[in-house]
Amino acid sequence: MILLALLAIALPGAGLVAWAFPERATTGADRALRISIALALGLGAWSAAYAAGRMMGVPTPAKDVLLVALGAALLFASRARPAATERTADAAPRWLWMLFFAACAVSIAAFAEHDWRFPDGGWDAWMIWNLRARFLVRDPDLRAAFSPDLLLWAHADYPWLIPGAVAQGFVLAGRETRLVPLAIAAEFGVLAVSVASLTATRLYGSRWGLLAALAILTLPAFPILVSNQQSDIPLGVYLACAGALIVLACARDERPARMLALAGFAAGLGAWTKNEGVLYAVCLALGLLVRTRDVRGTLAFAAGAVPAGLLLLGFKIFYAPANDLARLSTAASLIAHALDPLRWGELLVYALRRVVFFQSFALFLVAEVVALTVWVRRTPGTPLGTALILAVAAFAAIYVLQPHPLRWIFRTSVDRLILQLWPATVLATLLPLARTTART
Amino acid sequence: MTRERITAVVAVLAVVGLLRSAWFHFVSEPRNDVRRERIDPRYVPLKALLPATGEVGYVCDVPMLPWPAGFDDSPVGNRMYEQAQYALAPLVLRYDDRRAPLVVANLADPARLPEVQKRTGLVLVAEPRPGTAVLRPP
Repeated sequence: MILLALLAIALPGAGLVAWAFPERATTGADRALRISIALALGLGAWSAAYAAGRMMGVPTPAKDVLLVALGAALLFASRARPAATERTADAAPRWLWMLFFAACAVSIAAFAEHDWRFPDGGWDAWMIWNLRARFLVRDPDLRAAFSPDLLLWAHADYPWLIPGAVAQGFVLAGRETRLVPLAIAAEFGVLAVSVASLTATRLYGSRWGLLAALAILTLPAFPILVSNQQSDIPLGVYLACAGALIVLACARDERPARMLALAGFAAGLGAWTKNEGVLYAVCLALGLLVRTRDVRGTLAFAAGAVPAGLLLLGFKIFYAPANDLARLSTAASLIAHALDPLRWGELLVYALRRVVFFQSFALFLVAEVVALTVWVRRTPGTPLGTALILAVAAFAAIYVLQPHPLRWIFRTSVDRLILQLWPATVLATLLPLARTTART
Repeated sequence: MTRERITAVVAVLAVVGLLRSAWFHFVSEPRNDVRRERIDPRYVPLKALLPATGEVGYVCDVPMLPWPAGFDDSPVGNRMYEQAQYALAPLVLRYDDRRAPLVVANLADPARLPEVQKRTGLVLVAEPRPGTAVLRPP
């Protein structure tokens, strides 16, 4: 069973990546990038297929056999591709490698320390995500996990990519060991760094890859959020995968539709990870369309998001209770909040204070704001950068319009939103800087 | 801006971030914070007295806010309910439902059990460990 599950994760991920990339990898960084994307997509597809199976009554082993067959077929269909041409790489100085290894050591130690201090994970991990995994694994009746009698705090309307993966891990382990959610959290933590870092390495060399890795690893909130076993880092990984695939596709003249379809697939898995993922998928599609005017490519992206989109739709229609933000909002409250200048001002003050919130972000958000306003805005707009700006603008509107007390919801959610966006933001910021300084 | 300058700026930001992480996790937190207890052990004896699935009532000796009213409104009552729900899943705990055949009493102060029984009108079925009890309507 364990071997079948591992194959059901590895083969579809590898098959999808082989199908999407027009050439074979020739460098170590390129191979590592594809393995990272394949792992993220493979694990996500395995969990999404489990959810589809549970909702339609398909047994888990049958689902795994189907995934293995699909993955093998994709790999077979993608054989005999030409080798990719190597790019000139900007090598990293030795001291930067040393700093990178130091950052890895401190982040791993911080992850372990935080896990020791919070053995059940962060508050949201046991209140929402691992609670849901327990329901999935302990009760054959799926409806109990999404009972309307569960209080608001359990967020029974949230999609369940992470709970689905954890529940399957519990079954494979034969017991509900806390190592399962911890291992899944650690895997997504590594992928959050590797996807952004290896994309920068593949395009501009190891110097830029290490800078991307450092910007993620040394964000003080990063090891904490990874250790918390919540769905924010996994959502950040899927957003980064989608962003990386869009960046890689747009770096080629022909802008391969398959790569964009795979980007859509990654964005769809993000939507199946957390509600915010739907917003990111829409923003990525809009960013792609606005910056490239490529309707065919945007349709390919949208087509890639269809499988997870249908799963999410089925869940929301047949199982999920109403979302609290929608349930508690009225037309009058939306209009009143939208026209309230004090509420917008309050949000602006909170946001500015968060930019200089040293204990979570050190100086990174200050540097990001400076980089955006001074350098990056002078460079041509990119699909990923545009998508991220659209997402931030949408979050501002959601904060103002939502029905809960603004201070409470902002302070309990904004760090997690920033961490969701951060790997893709690092990519969107560093790549234009790498491009413009390649000649200097 | 040259690539060397960008490299230096990111390296400085990374060192600042690293130092902040190291200070927090290895100096400040060990001094000022405690290790959290595992959630499950408190509820293991209670679990044996309850059905494996379905719904039961839930009462507590400290108030729970079903809705956020401000940032600091995550009182002890909310944490206790959420932890009990986590430990006892897939049983659904219906907050303040006193008509259910079985009702879980989760107490911050075990000495308040008689007071909770009096307030709710429920009778004691079992108290498997101080602070948790199973009650039922009379």
